[in-house]
Amino acid sequence: MSYKIPMGPYHPGLEEPYKLDMICEGETVTDAKLHIGFNFRGIEHLAETRNYIQVIALMERVCGICSNIHTLTLCQAMEGLTGLTPPPRAQYIRVVMAELERLHSHVLWAGIAAKLMGFKTMFMTCFEIREKVMDVLQAISGNRVNYSMNRIGGVNRNIDDPLALLSMIEQLEGEMVKTVIPIFTTSSTARSRCAGIGVLTTEKALSCGVVGPVARASGVGQDLRKAAPYAAYAEMDFEVPVQPDGDVKARLLVRALEIMESCKILRQALTKMPPGEIDTGDGKFNFITGTATSRVEAPRGEVLYSVSWKEGSRNPNRVHVRTPTFANMPAIRWMVMGARLADTPLIQASIDPCYSCTDR
Amino acid sequence: MNVIENIQQKLGITEPSVESGGVHWLNPGTMNVRELAKTLLAMKARFITITAYQLPKEEGLRFEYHWDLDGTLLGFPYLLAGNSIDSLYDLTEAVDWIEREIHEGYAVDFIGRDYEPLLLREGDALGVNLREEVKK
Repeated sequence: MSYKIPMGPYHPGLEEPYKLDMICEGETVTDAKLHIGFNFRGIEHLAETRNYIQVIALMERVCGICSNIHTLTLCQAMEGLTGLTPPPRAQYIRVVMAELERLHSHVLWAGIAAKLMGFKTMFMTCFEIREKVMDVLQAISGNRVNYSMNRIGGVNRNIDDPLALLSMIEQLEGEMVKTVIPIFTTSSTARSRCAGIGVLTTEKALSCGVVGPVARASGVGQDLRKAAPYAAYAEMDFEVPVQPDGDVKARLLVRALEIMESCKILRQALTKMPPGEIDTGDGKFNFITGTATSRVEAPRGEVLYSVSWKEGSRNPNRVHVRTPTFANMPAIRWMVMGARLADTPLIQASIDPCYSCTDR
Repeated sequence: MNVIENIQQKLGITEPSVESGGVHWLNPGTMNVRELAKTLLAMKARFITITAYQLPKEEGLRFEYHWDLDGTLLGFPYLLAGNSIDSLYDLTEAVDWIEREIHEGYAVDFIGRDYEPLLLREGDALGVNLREEVKK
């Protein structure tokens, strides 16, 4: 006999509200249906009522984890409509902020995944490491969540002594190599909870159009930092980790390896950061009538902003946001089909979902 | 032959592409959106999203279909005179949520598919959030 188990909208396994209705036969999930919209704030509509300065602050609040990425993508789109190109130092600072954000996001996810595995000490370790990254973000921007770093034509704050941050990168890398990666890859707890569960095949990943680490863990090697470089990524040397298995373990591994690559990028960006201005100067610009689109590789995958403006207007006509979780979440249905009910909290968490981003 | 020329040849588009605002725009002309999608999927392009714009006065809606091919961002604009357009859901499930979102936000019917509520709840009015005449 089949029966329905609802998970959410409020559930200990979910960081934010959404609902997963699972049809089960015994302990096995045979199908699932997702319900979102519990965090719907109408931000795209609200953006049409904000001017070109206010809209940056508004879009920073789409997400509480990758807030910087949203303003970066928006500013890049608005720079396309104003003809401004940020100076090289600003492009490097954008890379530093983006990679620090990726680090804290991935380590946060590793902690949550550890908690869902029943591995509480690992949760504490990950959050201790993440705190160090948050300290650096705070030291640069003055903020821990909404950094207010990006502006049209550059960034708001300089990194006065980039080389001083190198010690944090080394410390973080050391912790990852010494503790996090070995435990996640060799401990029997992690292996038994992650290997072979929540599989998303390469074929299904392509047909669902998933992005970011979810795609890369299913053998789809797409990364905008390589395929369509923005900011100063064209000048960085790094690898894009890809795993073929498509299970929770592969998603975990991809993120762990991406942490190492982020450290590599950060080291290059901090060492090679060119001197000079951090914005285009006088703050004067004019929007042209038209649409501009920008894409960025956020911690969870590709973010796309389409911004439409009318010359002479202070407000955008339209701001459309396609967030990575919006692309990744529908795939949860295929990941949980055939899984044990007890594994579903970890499986759904393995895409590192952001429901606020998804609903906007 | 570069990516754009290859696409133009496969789609039979003779009009030159325009690179603007970070997108390579290709005018599909009278090509049905499903034919376009079938060709792009056969080329291993990845569907990204649809951006809907309401045009001023009563000019209808403009849909921009965004696809990625080997890191190149492609845009295909479609003008909707009425309130409907063919669905791509049976061709690629990647369009599912954005078609449902636009259906709810702009009260557009994607022909050939069923809907379940996405951001709105069962029974909520369509078009409330983004459709100008409904907002008023």
